[in-house]
Amino acid sequence: MNKVAIVGMDGVFPHCKDMQEFEEKLFSNQSLIRNWDLVASYDKKIRTKVAGYATPEETGFQKFSNGLPDEYPMDLEDISGQIPNVNLATSDLGSAWAMKASLGAIKDAGWTKEEIESEETGVVIGTGSGGQEGTRKVWNLFFEHGKKTRALGSSNVSRSMIYRDAANVSCLIKNKGVCEAIGSACATGLGSIGYAYRLIAFGLQDRVIAGGTEGTALETLIGFDAMQVLSTKFSPEESSRPYDKDRNGFVCSFGCGIVALENYDQAKARGANILGVIDGYFNNSDGDGDMFAPSFDGQQRLWTGLKKQTYINPDVVKAHGTSTATGDVVELFSIAAQLGKDGYHVSAPKSQFGHMLGAAGAVEVIVSLLMLKKQMVSPCLNSDNLKTELESFQTKDDWQGPKEPLAAYRNLLPQLALAKPINQIVCLNYGFGGTNSAMAISKD
Amino acid sequence: MTREEILKGLIEILENTPQVDSSKLKNVTEKTDFITDLEVPSTELINVIAKAESKFDVEFDDDDIDDLGSSVSGTIDLIEAAFKNQ
Repeated sequence: MNKVAIVGMDGVFPHCKDMQEFEEKLFSNQSLIRNWDLVASYDKKIRTKVAGYATPEETGFQKFSNGLPDEYPMDLEDISGQIPNVNLATSDLGSAWAMKASLGAIKDAGWTKEEIESEETGVVIGTGSGGQEGTRKVWNLFFEHGKKTRALGSSNVSRSMIYRDAANVSCLIKNKGVCEAIGSACATGLGSIGYAYRLIAFGLQDRVIAGGTEGTALETLIGFDAMQVLSTKFSPEESSRPYDKDRNGFVCSFGCGIVALENYDQAKARGANILGVIDGYFNNSDGDGDMFAPSFDGQQRLWTGLKKQTYINPDVVKAHGTSTATGDVVELFSIAAQLGKDGYHVSAPKSQFGHMLGAAGAVEVIVSLLMLKKQMVSPCLNSDNLKTELESFQTKDDWQGPKEPLAAYRNLLPQLALAKPINQIVCLNYGFGGTNSAMAISKD
Repeated sequence: MTREEILKGLIEILENTPQVDSSKLKNVTEKTDFITDLEVPSTELINVIAKAESKFDVEFDDDDIDDLGSSVSGTIDLIEAAFKNQ
């Protein structure tokens, strides 16, 4: 097995114009969540009011007025002129972000043109949702407005196919190795990086651009709103509150995270700036037939599998921590069952920027790399009050986990960014379908 | 609508097509070819024809589009014929 280094990173983050602003806001305990005017315009049809999103001014991408009415899909324009129009013609918003972030990560990595365009360079990028805004417009034009198929435009397939993000990045950077998408719902971002790690570890590629992206789409948010799993009634900055006893749902967010992975020995030999080393990756399934509920057993097996890959002694566990009623408790009890009540901290970055769905795992790997760089634990905002009573499932005979309430783990959850020595971080993400992913990352 | 007015309308469509280099649009005539002269990608040419249907409020026959080629004059012929068939 080859050792794998992370040598570049970039992304698109809610309420931020670039990586530097993201880093500054994260470690100064700021919330990146805002009220969303578009949601408000639908009044009571949508329960939640808040989201994590970046404006066109922040991302640098705006819709290009192509002379057609609003009901037609729009082309995108890169205000900076960095992404050529020929590439934007085949991409949706999430793919455009993936292209921009890939160029940023590659610049960070310092790869040569020859290296980028080689057979040993791969692209693995996924997303959580389908075609979304563009697809809705195309379908409406055909099914509701009775238009001929050619009126729908020739780019709908490349803008909505499952691996559109990987494909658009690959066409931009012209690599000749692997180009694929991993899809595992909210574990997609970490799953993509995990798959890319394996490609290098098993000697199939020397370097891989990997991550997840989730373009802003009201169509995505309303699906989760319909499930009544989104946060309501709190102010934007208080709405994502993992582990707090008053949490009532997650905050739907949008963004993109891309990292550049490279064979460690090669990266070291060329003097690359190594942001982190991937110690191991493991993923599995709950196997209980439940699409939505988290599984203590599945997560225990996840830890066991990760521990078989590498030595695990984390200073920080970067939790999935979505702020949903059922997810958070099972996760924290699962972590505590493995690591005990002290000696490490739990970081919950969704408390600051919400849940970026298919991008979440990748953006949170970037947060973890920033924690390694700054030697600071990012906070768990709004975890003000932890439940002092047992959860009902803890009183059942078949419960195998900790027998204390959430409040017993107060010292694991810093409410403000915390400086301390950090050598290893375990990143956790889970997704609908009972999929679980875990990755251990260390300082070089 | 005259052929000059149709040409002007086609140029407006091209001006709103990000993939087309606007500097190439200064000397477009009926003799211009969308693909060889203006370097419009063939996938984008489909969109230009569809936008022309929307802009001029006409509908082309599928077979006519299959036989169209990529000349500006042929496209103007097609639009003119569609007007006459209305």
